Formats: sequence, structure tokens, C-alpha cells
Amino acid sequence: MAGKSGRSIKAEQDVSFKKLILSWEGVLFVLIILLNIFNASISPSYTVTNILREMPKYLAEILMMFPMAYILVLGDIDISVGSIVCLCATMTCFISNAGAPAIVTYIGCLVVGLICGMVNGTVATRFPELPSMIITLGTQIIYRGIAEISLGSGGSVSFNDTKKIMPLSRKIGPVPVVLFVVIIAAVIFTVVLAKCTFGRELYAIGSNKLSAFYAGVEVQKCRFIAYSLLGLMAGACGLFLTAYMYGANTTTGQGFEMEVIAMCVFGGIATTGGKGNLIGAIIAGAIIVLLRIALGQINLNSQLILVIIGAMLIIAVLIPGIQANIKARRKLKQAR
Amino acid sequence: MKRKALSVLLSAAMTAALLSGCGGSTGAASEAAPATSEAAPATSEAAPAADTASESGAEAAAEATSGAGASGKTFAIVVKSAGNAYNTKEEEGFKEVIEAAGGTVVVKEPEAATVDAQITAIQSLISQGVDSISVAANDENALQATLEEAMAAGIKVNSFDSKTNADSRMTFVNQAGTQEVGQTLLDAVYDLTGGEGQYAILSATSQATNQNAWIDAMKSIAEGDSKYANLELVEVAYGDDEPQKSTDQTQALLSKYPDLKVICAPTTVGVSAAAKVLQDQGSSVKLTGLGLPSEMAEYIGADDAHSCPYMFLWNPIDLGRLAAYSAIALVNGDITGAIGDSFTAGDMGDYTLTDAGDNGSEIILGPPFKFDPDNITEWKDVY
Amino acid sequence: MEQKSLIKKITGSREALLFCILIVLGIVVTVLNPTFFSPTNIAQIFRNNAIIMIMAVGMFCVMLTAGIDISITSTLAFSGMSIGMLQKHDIVQSTLLMFLIAMVIGCLAGFLNGLIISKGKVAPIICTMGFMYIWRGMAYVVGNSSWASGEDVSQFAKFGKDGTVGPYIILIIVYGLFFVLMKWTKFGRKIYAVGANAEAARVSGINVDNVLISAYTIMGLMAGLAGALSVSIYASAQPNMQYGKEMDVIAACVIGGVSMSGGRGTIVGTFLGALILAIVAKALPLVNVPSIAQNTVKGVIILVVVIVNVVSQRMIDKQNLERREM
Repeated sequence: MAGKSGRSIKAEQDVSFKKLILSWEGVLFVLIILLNIFNASISPSYTVTNILREMPKYLAEILMMFPMAYILVLGDIDISVGSIVCLCATMTCFISNAGAPAIVTYIGCLVVGLICGMVNGTVATRFPELPSMIITLGTQIIYRGIAEISLGSGGSVSFNDTKKIMPLSRKIGPVPVVLFVVIIAAVIFTVVLAKCTFGRELYAIGSNKLSAFYAGVEVQKCRFIAYSLLGLMAGACGLFLTAYMYGANTTTGQGFEMEVIAMCVFGGIATTGGKGNLIGAIIAGAIIVLLRIALGQINLNSQLILVIIGAMLIIAVLIPGIQANIKARRKLKQAR
Repeated sequence: MKRKALSVLLSAAMTAALLSGCGGSTGAASEAAPATSEAAPATSEAAPAADTASESGAEAAAEATSGAGASGKTFAIVVKSAGNAYNTKEEEGFKEVIEAAGGTVVVKEPEAATVDAQITAIQSLISQGVDSISVAANDENALQATLEEAMAAGIKVNSFDSKTNADSRMTFVNQAGTQEVGQTLLDAVYDLTGGEGQYAILSATSQATNQNAWIDAMKSIAEGDSKYANLELVEVAYGDDEPQKSTDQTQALLSKYPDLKVICAPTTVGVSAAAKVLQDQGSSVKLTGLGLPSEMAEYIGADDAHSCPYMFLWNPIDLGRLAAYSAIALVNGDITGAIGDSFTAGDMGDYTLTDAGDNGSEIILGPPFKFDPDNITEWKDVY
Repeated sequence: MEQKSLIKKITGSREALLFCILIVLGIVVTVLNPTFFSPTNIAQIFRNNAIIMIMAVGMFCVMLTAGIDISITSTLAFSGMSIGMLQKHDIVQSTLLMFLIAMVIGCLAGFLNGLIISKGKVAPIICTMGFMYIWRGMAYVVGNSSWASGEDVSQFAKFGKDGTVGPYIILIIVYGLFFVLMKWTKFGRKIYAVGANAEAARVSGINVDNVLISAYTIMGLMAGLAGALSVSIYASAQPNMQYGKEMDVIAACVIGGVSMSGGRGTIVGTFLGALILAIVAKALPLVNVPSIAQNTVKGVIILVVVIVNVVSQRMIDKQNLERREM
């Protein structure tokens, strides 16, 4: 058994209850319970129906969180996803308005996303010396720019026939369709990362690219796949967003990249690569979404909400460092 | 194995957490039912203001014939974005009227000027069960699904400042007729150029609904009337409502078209950036457009030392007030949003809903107001 | 013989290559629109981009230590809004004091970044992402939904007014100072050493944490200075000012050949990188690229320049290898 829970691949260790609670996932888990109690006490509108109704936009974002986790585990980063969402949403509207049937529209949107991801992947693998941040910074501007050009001076487009896109914003009972998609994606992505060879290879590359290469891992192929997956899921995100917005405009998806990265990092995935798992990221995503919903319901200044999330993020990343510090000191004391 | 145990435990606990969360919430909700009216205003900062405003507000409420029914109701306003002085003035007017009528105000300032952020804000308002939502839309069509959901939940929806499409609103409070703004701006250009010569437009973003409508109106009026035949529109530049980009674009216009006579900037950020460039350079090019008096006071003057002889705007405070009065009328059932409905907007007088030309109705605030060197000192402290 | 060495010199030095790109760019734009190459236009390029150029110096220091700071425009907005509000409410009016206040605010923000990154062992992009949200939010809170503009800041705006030398002097001082600092002082060498190999630097007796903290503090200082300058040049302080421009600053450094993995890059390269971006921004409207396509063109240029950089680096490496084989 190579894979272990926790934030990195380590050799087998005993998982006692204490360890479980002290692991980052355990901490997050306790946090989410406390958060729910807190939320319910501050906002009278914090009910399951309301949460499910407010969630879809965030759920669409979370779709991108899974492949983003892969990219971060690789030690890369992709800041172009917000723009990919914008481009996909725009193209979806154009495809649909050109008279294509619903299924073609959906597939078209995903294909556009996939192509964007593959472009990122191609540049990143052909020029491995280039930091992924600067590549995706360039494509970030370009993808949104293409959307801007195709939208023309109006800057926004909407569906002629909203019926085609409606199935995506439907609800089964009170549960929106997108939640099921997120759950399916969560299971697949989590299992692949934790249990499959591909997932293990990602960790290997993220920990040490060179040794992974010598160990026979096809480093560039793995990176290419990860970027393509992220593009594909950004397409899915764009598709669901159009279903809720009946269209797209030049600001669609703005700032999503940072929100998605924040969820991953809060969930214990290190941007330096090789560390973290998706269970943490999923709980972290849930925490951020629920907190935003509750604080929105008590009409807190939207900027203050961002301040709170920023502070949470910093505290969350500080904790492992402090823990390590304390441990090191204790060891030092024992040694003396 | 242990990993599996962990995940099972986690998922079980997550469901438990959700259940406990909602259990707690329903409990809290029923407990807090009498306290709702207390919790809501506290967050919108209306609670302290309500006391101070109650005296002055009482008279105003008495004046407002239809305003009496607003007590106990909650009215929400969603502006385009946070941290914008123009939006703040709209909120101010909205608050003043609603609080005077005894209602509760919820102000939502989305963190960015995007539709995504507005959808989040409106969804949250639906959860809170407000009685009306007044929204200045960042995109005409994109809020449709969300606002239809709100109306289905029994919430009255009107838009102001920047409209939503007819399906997603009951009525639209328009600051000034689109044709009217276009005509006014074109006449100003005609006047400043002396009837002939080149002029350029410095707009906000390329997708700004209002600015595009006004510019289109200017173009179509100019084409349709031979009076404007000698005016030449050389370029529509976009400054994205950023001071830096607007500055760059203004300077580019100046170096590209040496014969340029007038720049028309129908956006508050663009007009002040352009005014500064022209005034600092001592350029002979004149400026007009739509701008906030408080921002533009320094640049307005009839002599050559000032870059802007005069400009226009409506009163954003009045716009907020009219949005509030129409929201109250909608909630009380005085109007349904049908064309031909009329209502009394307190001391602002009577208003009738007219055809907006998009199968929906609109309420027009009035013609744009002209700010010139004579009245600018008086208005710059107001807004 | 001499010609060959010249070519080698050009392909061998990134700055020379950048300089060539710059000249080609200048010639192309001038041919397309002769008004480009006029003294006023050149002056405007520096003035309008002084903010990006100044922050690029700070980013250069941070990137040398293999770090990154995406909170800078938020720091800029916070410090700019703070002094804007001080003026609006007539608390402080002295121009010098304004600059000092903005720089102190920036310094503190940068110091905090440095402290958390070095002592807390937090990845720079994450720490600064947190502060990106925090300082931007604080700018809104300080502003309390109002702007400072026009008359509020008219006294202060005189410093950055078109035609005054203020912004240019600041630019010259900053670049001059850092050219000397990075090239000929112990401190500059320490930053390079930490970026190139932190462990080796630690072993050889450099206090890595202190170097990191000072690099981020410099970045904060520059962001604060840029905040004050931005208020002065545009005569307006808005909470959303320079939103998203941190990416331009990073792009300027990367185009200028500063390596994101640390330890490589020069102040001259940074300057040229920032200048290329500035010229592109200035030239696009002048050569009649439709405004709607300007962003795309900018993105393509960034990508092309960094790829050209990589390709030329590969050629240099190959050349060196060949020489060794001989």
C-alpha cells in the first residue's frame, strides 16, 4: 500500500484516533461542524433549502477545484481557468444560437475548454523551463481577449432559446443537478488521485521531477493530461454558469482562478507540489462556500467577507509551519 | 484499510454536520422569528439611523401618500459594485425614502462589478425573504434566471440606473430617456465645435449597456439630421472606467487626431481622467459628457484654463429615491408594472409608467441636468 | 571576426536582446504612426507607467529570492486610499508627509508578508494571495464607499501633474539606487545568493530569513510609493485602483529575464521589460489596433517574448556546449 492519508506520501504509520483528529482533514472536519452551528446561529435564513438554492454557482466553481488540485500537486499552477470559463460560456451561446441541438452545444462547450487546456498543456510541456504561472498568465489574457473580440462591442450574449440549456439548471426535488455532477466528479477525481497509478505519478512528479523522470514516469505526458483535464472541467463550469445566467459576458468567471486555488490550499494542498489530498480540499471548499452563504445572508459588507477569507487562508497555511516548529523544539528539548 | 475507515467516518460526519446544521438552523429560525426584524436592520446599519431619522422621517412619511404601507417590510437595493461614489449616492436616496416610510433597507454591494457577484447577492436576498429588490444590472440578460426565481418567490423586482430585460423586471426606473441623453450630448458637441469638425467619444467598457445605448443614440441622431452633417466622429475609445487606461486613451486621441475639437465622455471615471489630461496639457480640445460635480468642479470653467465648459448628469440621489418610491408602490400593489400605471413619489410628484420600447415599462426621472460654471460650486458639495 | 563577437555578445546577453526587441518595436510603431516618436509621447510613456516600473523593482527583488507577491496592487490601493482619505478630510496636506505615510503603510504590509513567508514557511503565492484579499478589502473599508478625487487631492496632485518632473525624479532615484544596491553591495549579493540556493546561503552564514523579510519589505515600500504616486498622477483615489495590474508587474519582470525560480535577473532587464510593456500599451491605440483586440495582442506579446527568451537561452546553452566539445 503506497498511498496513505495525510498530507504527503509517507511510509505506513499507525492511524490512531488522535492522529485522525490532528490531521489537517480532521481539523477541517471539526471546523465545518462548528461553522454550521455558528452559521445557523447568526442567520435565520440558513436552512438546507436556501443553501441548496444558493449553491449552484459555487458548485460550478468547485468542478474546477478537482483538476486544479492535480495541477497544484504537480507543483504547477494555472491562473487561466477563469478566462477559459469565459471563453467556453461565450462559445456555448454562439453554438446554441447558431441552431445546434442541446447535446451538440454541451459537447461544443466541453471541447472548447479541452482545447484551451491542451494549448496550456502543450506550451507548458514544450517549454518546461517556463514557469506555469507565466504561461497561464499569457493565455489568461488571450482567452478572455478572444471572448471579448467575439462578443464584439455589446460585450454580452444570451441564448435565443433558453430551453436547450434549462436541463442543466433543473432541480431534482430541492437538489440542483449540478450537485450530482460535482459528487460524481469528486468521487472519480479523488479515487484517481489516491488510488490509481496516474495519481501516484502526479505525487511523484510534484515531489521531485527529476527522480520521477528517472523512475520512468512520463513527466510531460502527465502534465499535459492534468492541464487538459483542468480545461475540460473549466468547460463544464462554463456550461453550468451559462445555464444560470442564460448567457455570457466579458466578466464571466473573473477571479475564479484565485477562489479555486484558495479552496485547494485551504484544504492542505501545497503549491510547492507533492502534498495534500482531495478529501481535505473538498471539505475546505464546503467550508468556504457555506461561510460565504451565511455571511451573505446577514448582509455583511462583501469586501469584509473577502478580508475574512484572506485571513482564514493565511492562518490555515501558517498552522503546519507552527506545528513543525513546535515539534522541532520539543525534539530538541528531548535531545538535551 | 484505515484510509477507507477515515473516508467513511468523514462522509458520515459530514452528513451529520449538515443535519445538525439545519436542525440547529430551523430551531434558531423559529426562536428568532420575532427577532428577525431586529436582526436584519442591525446588519444593514439601519437600526441606529432609524432612530435619528424617525423625527424627520415622520413628516416625510406623512407627505408620502403611498409610503405609509412600507412599515415592517424589507426593501433591498443591489448596486453595480462596491466602493463607487455614484452608487453610494443612489443608496443614500433609497435609504432615505424607505426609512422615512418605516421600512427596512438591505444594501448589497457586490464585491466586483460582475454578474456573478450580483447573482450571489440576489440569491442571498431571496433566502432572506425580502419584499422587494431594486437592482442596477451589470448585464441586461444575465440576471433573468435569478430574478425570475425571485419574482416566483413573491418578491417585487424593479431595476434602476441600468436595466434588466423585460422578462426579469416589473418596471425600470430610467435616469433619463436614452434618446434624450444622446440628443443632449450631441447638441453639446455641436455647440462646442461650433457646428463642424472632429469629435471623439471616450466611453467606459465596450460592454457597458448604458454607454453603448447613449452612443448608439448619438450616432443615429447625427445620421438622421443634416444639421449634424459637418460633425465627424473619429473614434469611440474605451477607457474601461480605469483612470490609467482612460488617461492613455485620451492622450492617444490627442496625438492621433491633431484637428480634434471635442471629446465627449459619457462616463464619470472617463470624464474626470480626460479633464485632467486636457487641463494639465493646456490643450485647446474641449470636453463634455456625464460626470459627478464633486469630481469635476476643478475642471469646469468657461475660460481656456479649464477643460470642460459644461457637462451633464442626473441626480443619483433622486434616482435612488425614485427607485425606492416605485418599490414601495410595487409592494403595496399601487402599481403592477403595467404601462399606464401611475403613482405618487412623495415630494417628487406623480410619475406614470411608460413604454420602454422593449415590451416592458419604465419610469423616467427627468431630463439630464446641466452643470456649468455658474452652478457648479453649489452642486459640488451635494454629490 | 569582430562582427561575430558582436552577434555573440547580443545573443549572449539578455539585456542586449531585449534592447534590440525594444528598438525594433519602436521603429515599427514609428513607421506606422510617426507621432509616436515625439518627446511628449516618450515622456508620457514614462509618466503613465511609472507605477508599474516602480513596483517592478520591488517584484525584481522578491522574484530573485524565488518568491512572488500578488498582493502589491492591494497594498497600493490600501495606502493610496489611506492618504486619499486623509486629504479628503483635511487631516494632512503636506505632500512629503503623504508620501511618507503611504510608504510606511506599504513597508508594514510588506514586512508582514516577509515575516509570514520566512518564519511561517508559507508559500509566497498563498500568503500574498491572502493579503491580496485583505488589503483590497481594507481599501474599501477605509474609503467607506467614497472616492477622493478632483478637489480633494488637488494640492497633492500638483506633484504628479503633466509637465512636472516629480514622477521622473522618483523613477530615476529608484532605479539608480537599486542598480547600485543590487550590483555592488553586500545586501544585493545576499539576495542573489538566497535566490540561487537558499540552503547554500544559509550554510555560508547568510541569515536567509532576514534577507527574505527585507526583500518583501522593499516590495511593500515600492507598492506604497506607487500608491502615493498613483493618487498624485491620476488625481484620484478609488478602492479598486490598479486592480489586476500585479500581473503586468510580474509580466514586466519575466519579460525582462528575471527567473521565477530565483537567483537570475538584472535591474536593467527589469527596466527594459517594463518599458516594452509600456510601449506596447501606448502604441496599440496609436497604430489603430481596435480597442477590443488590445488585450489579446498584449497577451500574445507577453507569451511570445517569454518563449523567445527560452529559445534564445537554449541556443546559448547549445553554443556553450559546442564550445566545450571542441
